[in-house]
This record gives sequence, structure tokens and C-alpha cells, in this order.
Amino acid sequence: MNIAFSMLSESGSAIERIQGLGSAKDQLGDPDYWGSVGILTITGIMVVFLILAILIFFFWLMGTIFKAIDKSKAAKKAAALEAERAAAPAPASVVEAAAEEEAPDNDEEIIAVISAAIAAYAEAEGTAYTITGISKHKSARTRSAWSMAGVNDNMRQF
Amino acid sequence: MEIFKSTITGLIDTSGFTGLSDIRCIIMILLSFVLFYLAIVKQYEPLLMLPIAFGMLLTNLPLTGLYHPELWDPATNPYFAPTYVDAGIGGLFMSVFTPETSLDYGKVLHEGGLLDMLYLGVKLQIYPPLIFLGIGSMTDFGPLIANPKSFLLGAAAQGGIFFTFLGACLLNFFDLSGIGFDGFTLKEAASIAIIGGADGPTAIYLTSKLAPQLLGSIAVAAYSYMALVPVIQPPIMKALTTEKERSVKMGQLREVSKIEKVVFPIAVTVIVSLIVPSAAPLVGILMFGNLMKESGVCDRLVKTAQNELMNIITIFLGITVGATAVADNFLSWKTIFIIVLGLIAFCVGTACGVLLGKLMYIISGRKINPLIGSAGVSAVPMAARVSQKVGAQTNPSNFLLMHAMGPNVAGVIGSAVAAGVLLSVLG
Repeated sequence: MNIAFSMLSESGSAIERIQGLGSAKDQLGDPDYWGSVGILTITGIMVVFLILAILIFFFWLMGTIFKAIDKSKAAKKAAALEAERAAAPAPASVVEAAAEEEAPDNDEEIIAVISAAIAAYAEAEGTAYTITGISKHKSARTRSAWSMAGVNDNMRQF
Repeated sequence: MEIFKSTITGLIDTSGFTGLSDIRCIIMILLSFVLFYLAIVKQYEPLLMLPIAFGMLLTNLPLTGLYHPELWDPATNPYFAPTYVDAGIGGLFMSVFTPETSLDYGKVLHEGGLLDMLYLGVKLQIYPPLIFLGIGSMTDFGPLIANPKSFLLGAAAQGGIFFTFLGACLLNFFDLSGIGFDGFTLKEAASIAIIGGADGPTAIYLTSKLAPQLLGSIAVAAYSYMALVPVIQPPIMKALTTEKERSVKMGQLREVSKIEKVVFPIAVTVIVSLIVPSAAPLVGILMFGNLMKESGVCDRLVKTAQNELMNIITIFLGITVGATAVADNFLSWKTIFIIVLGLIAFCVGTACGVLLGKLMYIISGRKINPLIGSAGVSAVPMAARVSQKVGAQTNPSNFLLMHAMGPNVAGVIGSAVAAGVLLSVLG
């Protein structure tokens, strides 16, 4: 870095002198013209690389730290889950996961999806649920939850 | 009858037709029609090309008085700064007026037309950073944070800038005064070279500071080549890589947390501004826009920066940059050489990016696809799309877009830094 800057400042006075000569022809006539142009070109690309290299180092460091934090968090969570499972092998709570879900044709696929969603939620929470039943919501809606979600998604941009 | 005759002759005398005797004005007007064609039919960056073309038309229609090139030339509108000297008797004493190289802005305000007023924003370097504010608030630096090595590719592609700077200076070596070309000064060479950064606002920013007389030609060249990225880049990319290299599939990028995305703009601003303070107006404002977006707490400001503000500035910038393209500045050999050198800058930038990509391919043990290197020449997101397209041509299941976005946004930072370096030495 310092080398680049000292090279620049050394050629700086020559560049200033050359710039003082108004026209391109006069500038070309200066004995230091090609030297200054060469140094400016080389140091220019060097400085760009150096700055971006510093940024790489910084963000590599930051990335490493954050990855480590994420890992330790995940490990803690896993350990906590393990401990909880060991303490209470039976389901922690039983929920009637029925009210808001619906199973139009008692379709197994939809039941699997709902179970997976509850499992993901339970895992994040660190507890366990047992699904005892899935039934249609009482108030009849014109659209299914899935098509409603699709409509919402399409409308969001407006 | 006499009154009628004198009214008609008076009208004819003050009409623009009398000014059309200058053939060069007519050529410029026809050239603006060519740009209209490029903008409307070919859709080359129409959001900028159309205002540029219209500015060019307005400024070359005689006697409109919208833009006065003579007001922007220190030779015809010099500023005489009062010089104060210490008289030694307990106070400052005004001695003489010394001509300076800066402009008399008072005269601009008194005598300027509409486009002169709007041009103040270009001349005083207000518009390009504000465009960067909008770009920052639209850019996702996630792929770059996930893979910081991309910065190297963004730096390599700036090789085109410095190579072209050398090329423009080498052109002076040949005596072309016979055809009326008297060479490029160092400042002009640097302004032409920045076309290789493939970044319109950066090019306009640097040129308005170093060589405002070339602004029209450089902006037209820069935006034309940016529109032509999908035509210019693929042959170079294919020529420099083997099929095996092009078909490399890259692993999924890691997910970047919100904290990292918030820290990124702050850290880049601090690091870049401390090392190259002259790049701060571009990089700093770019990162300000990005921080507003990533922080998630300034939604209303982000919306304005992305839409209304950006659109308003784009209109002002385009039409005034076009207005600087008056016949005296535009119809010269310099414009021809700028167009040729600009193309060289683009090609060399692309080649440098791809070549460094090849090097990284070898070093990484064939894990990096060299095609993402070409995206290092900013032109967001066009250059990244080109990498994706060329990659998918070789291996249809390959998905390089997000990997190419890293070097692509790094290129924006890289070209702003390169502009800062040139400005600090030549400004």
C-alpha cells in the first residue's frame, strides 16, 4: 500500500507539471510523460486491487465469525432439544391441530404437508406435538387455504 | 403592407432557420435522430438514451437558448477571484482580481437557459451520486458477502480502464495533426478510459470533473456499449475459455444474515473512504442507499430513492448530458477515437475478468467457473445475465446468475474506486 502511494506521490509532482502544460502535444513533449503515464497505470490497478483485497479480508473474517456463531447456536439448540427429549420421551403436549387446517378430501398428501409444517414449527420451538386429528374449518370458504395463499402471493406486489 | 412585410421578415430573421446555415448543426440534429432510432427501435438503454438524444436535438436547434456552451468554458466565462493580502496594518486588504480556472457561476445563473440550470447538477457532481443512491437501494450485495473472493474479479475487470488510459496516451504518439486530431490530454485519456468501468454515472462523474467538453461523446459511447454487453462479451468469453471450464457447476452460496448485510455498507464506506477519499461521493452514497434498504427501517425513503428520485435524476442527467453534445465538441476526430477506445476498454475489461476467473478456476481446483469473471465489468445486471446465458449454453443445467452477481456488484465498487484513484491523481 505504502509503496503504491509513495510511487504515486513521487510521480505526482511530474504529473502536476505535465497537467500544467495545456495541450496534449506539449504534455507529450515532457521528458517524464511516459514514465508518469506508466506509473499511473500500474499503481492505479494496484490500488484498486489492494482496496478490494482489504475488503475481501474484512468480509472473509466477518463471514467466518458469523458462520462460527451460527454453528454454535445450532449446536446449542440441538443439545437443548436432545436434553428435552431425554427428560420427556413422551410428547410434551398434545394439541388438537384442527381448528384452522382443512383436509378437503382427507388427502394424505395434505395431511403430510400439515404434519411437516407443525414438525418444523415444533423443532424450532424445541417441543413436540402429537396430531390427534385434522378437520375442516367450520366456516365455509370459497377458496382453499392453498389457493388463497397463491392469490395473496400474486397480489402482494400491488 | 409595409408593417406586414417587416413583421414577416422580422419573424424570419429571428426564426431558427437562419441559424441552420451551419451544416454541422444539421449533422448533429441528424445524429440525434440516429440516437432516437437506437433508443426507440433498438431499445439501447432507452431510459437514458432517449433523454440524451432529445437533449442533443434541443441544443443543436439554433437560437433556442436552452443551453449555452460558452457559459461552461472557463476561457469564455472566467471567474475572477478577488485576492486578499495582509496589508500589515491590522487587516486584510483587497489588492487585485486574479483570473482563475473556475467558472463564473453568477453569469450562468443570470444568462443561462433551462438546460444550463439543469446542467449545474452535472457540473457540480450532484446527479451521479444521487443515481448511485437509487442503485444502492436496489442492489443486493448478498452474493458478494457470501463469496468475498468475487471482489477480485470486480477488480480485474477494471483492467480495461487502465489499459485504455495507456492506449489513449499511446495514440498521442502518432502524429495525427494532419487530419485535425491534436491528441488527448491526461485528463481526457482518463475520462475515456473510465468507459471501461461500464458504469454510466461513474463515467459522467469523472468526465464532468476532468474533461467536461467530452461529456456528450463519452456518455453516448458508455451507454451504447452497456446496451451492447450481450453482443460484445460472449465471443470474448468463449474465445478465452474451454468448454470444460464453462461447464463447471458452482456450489450453492451460503445464506447471508441480516447483520452481515447491515455491516457491509458501513464497512465498505469506512474502508474505501479512508483509503481513497475522492471515491467517497460515489461509494459512500451507493452504500447509504444500500444501508437504507438492508436496515429495513426506512421503507418510505427506499421507495423514493428507488423510484421517484431515481427517475427524476435520470431525466435531468440524460437531457443535460445530451445537451453538451454541441457540434464543436462532438463533430471531431476525438469522438471517433472515443468510440473506438471505449470498445477496447469494454473488451479488455471483459477479458481481464475472464482471465482472472481462469486463474481462480485453477487455484480453486476447478470449482470456480471462469465465466463469472466477465460480470466484473459492472453493467448490473446485464453482465451477470450474460454469464448465466453463456454458462447455460454450455451446460443447460448450470445456474451461474447468483454467482455472477457477486463480481457484478463488486465491479460497481471497483469502478467507483478506480474513478476515485484517477481523480485523486489527475483532478
